[in-house]
Amino acid sequence: MGIRSTVGACRSGARIMGKRLPQIFFVLSTLSLVLLIAAIWQATRPSWKTYQRHYFQLEAVGEPNAVTKAAVLATPPEIHQILLPGLHRVDRCTTCHLGVDDPTMKNAPEPFRYHAGLGPHVASKFGCTICHGGQGLATDVKDAHGNVPFWNDPLLSPEYVRASCGRCHKEGDVPGVPELTEGRRLFETEGCRGCHKLNGVGGSIGPDLTEEGASHRSPEWLEQHFLNPSKVSAGSAMPNFQFTREQARSLTYYMLSLTSADMGSYYSSVRLIPSPAYGRELFVQKDCIVCHSIGGVGSKTGPDLLDVTKRHSLEWLDEQLVNPQLVYPGSTMPEYDLDTNSRKALVSFLATATPQDAEAIMAPHKNVITPEDAAIAAGKQNFARFGCAGCHGTELQGGLANPNAQGGQVPSLLHLSDDYTKDEVIAVIRDGRQPPLDNVHGPTPPLYMPSWKSVLSNEDIHEIVEFLWSKQQKAKDSW
Amino acid sequence: MNLIREIWQSIVRRDPLSTDKGKSELVFHNVWLHIHPAKVKKENMRFKHTFYLGFITFFLFLILVTTGIALMFYYRPYPPQSYQDMKDLQFVVFLGPFLRSMHRWAAHGMVICVFLHMCRVFYTGSYKKPRQFNWVVGIMLLLLTLGLSFTGYLLPWDQLAYWAITVGTNIGSYAPIVGGKLRELLLGGHTVGEAALIRFYVLHVAILPSLVILLTIVHFWRVRKDGGLSKPVWKLKPRAPEQLVTIGATPQVAPMQTIPASKDKTYGLMEVVTGKPNFEIITPEEEEDAVFSYPYAFFREAITLMVTVTSVMAISLFFHAPLEEMANPAKTPNPAKAPWYFLGLQELVSHSALLGGVVAPALMVIALLAIPYFDRNPSRRPSDRKWAIGLFTAFVVVNLVLIIIGTFFRGPGWAFVPPWVHVVAGPE
Repeated sequence: MGIRSTVGACRSGARIMGKRLPQIFFVLSTLSLVLLIAAIWQATRPSWKTYQRHYFQLEAVGEPNAVTKAAVLATPPEIHQILLPGLHRVDRCTTCHLGVDDPTMKNAPEPFRYHAGLGPHVASKFGCTICHGGQGLATDVKDAHGNVPFWNDPLLSPEYVRASCGRCHKEGDVPGVPELTEGRRLFETEGCRGCHKLNGVGGSIGPDLTEEGASHRSPEWLEQHFLNPSKVSAGSAMPNFQFTREQARSLTYYMLSLTSADMGSYYSSVRLIPSPAYGRELFVQKDCIVCHSIGGVGSKTGPDLLDVTKRHSLEWLDEQLVNPQLVYPGSTMPEYDLDTNSRKALVSFLATATPQDAEAIMAPHKNVITPEDAAIAAGKQNFARFGCAGCHGTELQGGLANPNAQGGQVPSLLHLSDDYTKDEVIAVIRDGRQPPLDNVHGPTPPLYMPSWKSVLSNEDIHEIVEFLWSKQQKAKDSW
Repeated sequence: MNLIREIWQSIVRRDPLSTDKGKSELVFHNVWLHIHPAKVKKENMRFKHTFYLGFITFFLFLILVTTGIALMFYYRPYPPQSYQDMKDLQFVVFLGPFLRSMHRWAAHGMVICVFLHMCRVFYTGSYKKPRQFNWVVGIMLLLLTLGLSFTGYLLPWDQLAYWAITVGTNIGSYAPIVGGKLRELLLGGHTVGEAALIRFYVLHVAILPSLVILLTIVHFWRVRKDGGLSKPVWKLKPRAPEQLVTIGATPQVAPMQTIPASKDKTYGLMEVVTGKPNFEIITPEEEEDAVFSYPYAFFREAITLMVTVTSVMAISLFFHAPLEEMANPAKTPNPAKAPWYFLGLQELVSHSALLGGVVAPALMVIALLAIPYFDRNPSRRPSDRKWAIGLFTAFVVVNLVLIIIGTFFRGPGWAFVPPWVHVVAGPE
């Protein structure tokens, strides 16, 4: 030890006094300079500059004037961005997609091609990502198209882009996107809410879907999931509803459109498309047929509305809907609080309305309604609206597979009155319950009856029970 | 030419560096350099004595200050703009990704180096008298470094940041009585939100760096006042029996006083103060062993600086700092993990909240602070300190093992999952 350390000390002594120090320092300094230059080199050669150069070359081809040509070619590279404070986003897509609003680029190769058919949805007002998805802030291809880790909204493939219409157009139907309307209808009628919450209403067996379109935008996965839930999500409690391909597609569209993100006042003010179909919905909802008739079908209290758009100007009709007394002093028509697009929708419906429409609208009103019938009707609506049908079936037939529950499936509700009193059923709906087990040592069945007391009022539950009782089938041999 | 020379001489007021006087004056005529002695002991500069860890830590701090100030130009400390600023750094700011990566990797490096520096000081026994309090200052700097890293962790406002801070501050809230209140004070609320972000930002860019600078000054000053770096353990000599000399006496008369013999150079502060200053004992042969700080020590420091800077740059060029999705309080990752240096604590918390959240960290900090006062053994020779070295090594190993388990072996639900098993978390 002693000798070694002495030798070591001598050697180190030589090293300590070494003349190499400045040289090492010089080499390291050069190395760090090289690294800095490498970093700068990396930073000054982003791919978007290459795209811009190609675009300007493309643009210069058609220029006859040599001076203009040179000017186009010499355009300095710069990042283009569309600031969209109303949508809480910044889209830099036009840094590379330079031709989106230039019709002369309609035959140009991607990424420079003109975007035709935007209608009112101009890029400067809407940007790109609100419809197409992707990462607007990014400036290189991979990140911008969003198929990167930690980005939940990748570019949608062209067949699904129209689903994004539903992000702003949340109500009414969207012309050209029947999938959205159909998806929304399926969601409400097939009982999806029985398990899934949407905007605060629904069960808690499945995940909340309020943000589904914002957090989980994978259309292929969603579509597969609707066709066969357990195939893409092993152990999923979601039953296979035997949806057709079209239905799965429609539901996928609807899911992709679901987001609670605030779209800003500009975007939400126009989110209702004044389509005739939505006008018809309003016509039903506001009970116009109670006073008006179309081609003689309906009530005679107010004027007949057949061809009303030919008798009055659109402005006149609009004014009439805003303030009936202003146009006809003493008119008994009430004021309806309708926004601009709702009024336009009503008028566009009236332009096409026929007596057959009136008959179809009148049909449900024809029967005389007793309070019992009213309760049963309301119960039927509740049964559909809160998603009971999801598990118990639209005809109360039950039968969905529920492994290890007694009988192995969700029970039918057609023979309730044999075993339960109304109060017992009310208690089960209010408090929920776990299904009785087939095998007490087996796994917990995936489906169970949730507690509804935080969602349904006592009256709602009472109505549902009335509806159930109206459907009970007595066994033949009972007295 | 004369004017230029005159200007130069007005700036550099020393003799040429070829002379010994010039080399000395370079040090003590310069406000920045005079924290160094004019001469340093050759043995103290040997790499295997200190591994230059203190310097590396300090240089990493300088990198962090420089890149941090640059990053401040691009950062707004309120959500969700903070996250957008991260994306801007990544995609549009010139050298932005490089800058952010340098800051991130230097920060991790500083946590590691400050810990290794502590280990080195322990193993060489350099915290012993008279350096006990400087060890305490060092432990405070360790805690401040962790605090800086922790507060900086939140600023990108991504999922990683949000949940690491949520979990990290939850660990702290297990302390009885004050825990919850402290968490509330730190976060400005009950959950991590806008208030927490601005608080963390102020701590990260103003308060904690200022404290680090102040304590670093104290740390360096004390090293210098205690005679520079401690002597390498291989230069320690066995303790000689004390020789006594008598002074003020002739063989006939009784001695005035008997004191221990010493070859110390001492400097008396006449009339005002009595007593011997705390300089290390320098023997004449050791003085022979000393060389001028310029160029030997300064070049070594400069080389250490360049090695540090170059390494951080090289890593940053090839590995970019991570950035996950924007913070989403409604979407908890499974598992949600604290920053890696707190994963040992989180691992303990998973077994017992009281143990991991309160007892272990409190004991660790108290034990570290108390080491120089608790360890009364004056010897610095490893052969005399087997117990101390064994205990400290056990402390380091346990910490490392817990951190490694927490980092690599914990999957969804904090279940034990080895890193080579890939767990696919299904979408809900």
